[in-house]
Amino acid sequence: MFNKTIFKQTVKENLKLWLIITLLMSVFCALLIAVFEPETISNLSDIIKGTPLENILEQETFLGMIAKTFYSIHGVILPLIFIIITANSLIASQVDRGSMAYLLSTPIKRSAVVGTQAAYLITSILVMVIIVTIIGLFSIHIFQGDTAVNITDYLLLNVGLFLLMFAISSVSFLFSCTFNLSKNSLALGAGIPLAFFLFKLMAQVDDSLEGFKYLSLNSLYDTNAILDGGSYLAQFTALTIVGIVLYVTGMRIFTEKDLPL
Amino acid sequence: MAVIQIEHLTKDYGHHRGVFDISFNIEKGEVYGFLGPNGAGKTTTIRHIMGFSRPQKGHTFVNGLNSWKNASEIQKNLGYLPGEIALPELLTGMQFINMMAELRGMRDMTYTNYLIKKFELDPSGNLKRMPLGMKRKLAIVIAFMNDPDVLVLDEPTSGLDPIMQNIFIELIQEEKEKGKTILLSSHIFNEVDATCDKMSIIKDGRLISTFVPDELRSSASKTFKFEFNIKEQFERFCSEVASQRKLEVIALKRDKNQAVISVDDADINSFIHLIADYDLKFFSEVKFTLEDYFMKFYGHNSSRGGGTE
Repeated sequence: MFNKTIFKQTVKENLKLWLIITLLMSVFCALLIAVFEPETISNLSDIIKGTPLENILEQETFLGMIAKTFYSIHGVILPLIFIIITANSLIASQVDRGSMAYLLSTPIKRSAVVGTQAAYLITSILVMVIIVTIIGLFSIHIFQGDTAVNITDYLLLNVGLFLLMFAISSVSFLFSCTFNLSKNSLALGAGIPLAFFLFKLMAQVDDSLEGFKYLSLNSLYDTNAILDGGSYLAQFTALTIVGIVLYVTGMRIFTEKDLPL
Repeated sequence: MAVIQIEHLTKDYGHHRGVFDISFNIEKGEVYGFLGPNGAGKTTTIRHIMGFSRPQKGHTFVNGLNSWKNASEIQKNLGYLPGEIALPELLTGMQFINMMAELRGMRDMTYTNYLIKKFELDPSGNLKRMPLGMKRKLAIVIAFMNDPDVLVLDEPTSGLDPIMQNIFIELIQEEKEKGKTILLSSHIFNEVDATCDKMSIIKDGRLISTFVPDELRSSASKTFKFEFNIKEQFERFCSEVASQRKLEVIALKRDKNQAVISVDDADINSFIHLIADYDLKFFSEVKFTLEDYFMKFYGHNSSRGGGTE
């Protein structure tokens, strides 16, 4: 199910993109943490005291801001780009180009090839999120030393982000395993995760568009529920199950299918 | 038991593409030519031998192992040269060679180094920027590097310059002496002609002929071509030959007063006797070449009729 040589090679091939995305995420994460000023919110609160807006801002905390910015946009779209490109290059593009023939003309089983590629995609996302988490913790320590930050909630935001990316990557990986042509793998493997992202954004624009959230896997990453002490375990479990099922399905499809090599 | 067995292999891709009921065996130590035009089904057949595709009907076996079910087991003792060279990018040639050696669990690189030297391969460059000829040589080295007993080569010499083609043919002969079993697919007749013990011709997904070239070469009939000086004699010959059952008319060219006739060796004397009465401009044997035989199946004009002048 796993081959060290292929893993090393895959890490090498995808290192550049991974580094760029991880660096960008780290920078955005640190910047957004650095620019947050607790006074801004308390000043605002004073201004709108007694107006209907009061209730909205009341809940606004440091983590609330971070959740609405980094954990809704930058921290989601950047790994998404990495996943879309990498998932396709791991399987479909190698079948399309024909270079997969070399791996499969060795005694390495197909299941080991596809298992290694899946392991790489999951590991690379995991390490990416861990690095961003650590950068975030440092930034909080440096820039927000005076702000009261619930570290458990902060860590949960990151666990959730990883699980969301795990589930999203399983979608792209599934299509990479299914199609023999890059263009088809990308059409669905990029299209569907992007649609998920946009549907979630749509749902947040206005109450009348809220229905869109049911069309998006991203809705299972509910930052409000995490921060407000709502229920999030069921959603985390759902993301985990979706990820496992789609990864396993993708691997099965690849081991069983006809390859035009 | 045959080393490579193909039994009633069928794979229909629709639109008459694919392979249909292909069967042939390759015995140990045999170099087997697999000839056909582009798109005839050669690569499809090889895909099944390699275990990349699952047959719709029939089976393929390598060393008695089912290609589809035991693909990775088969690869331990098989070298494969893909028809299309698509090497992974971002690696240098040497990194790629080392990676393949690692994947195959090889320790001894003596033979690999011998091959690199033989083909004058410079594996230091980046694969993306390597010239096509160099890539082809690299692919050959990769296919032969672990000295496997079975070799499956899809159009091995396309893209090689004539010197390298000769070195390649030399390599095939060396491997043959070592008792290797080799399947060599090609649409170029000459590369097969130089090396193969046995051949099959595939066209539109079906095997249309399987033969041993040496037997055909020593075939018991000859073809002659001759030209008459006088038109009347040519006409007379035409009417006379029609009544001769022993002579097979390949072509009669009225504009040139030429005739092409095939004769069994046993009837050669009576043929000479017959032809002695005529006033001829020239008389020559049309050498039998496998290429002509091969072209016949392609459905183009048989060059035996006059294409070989």
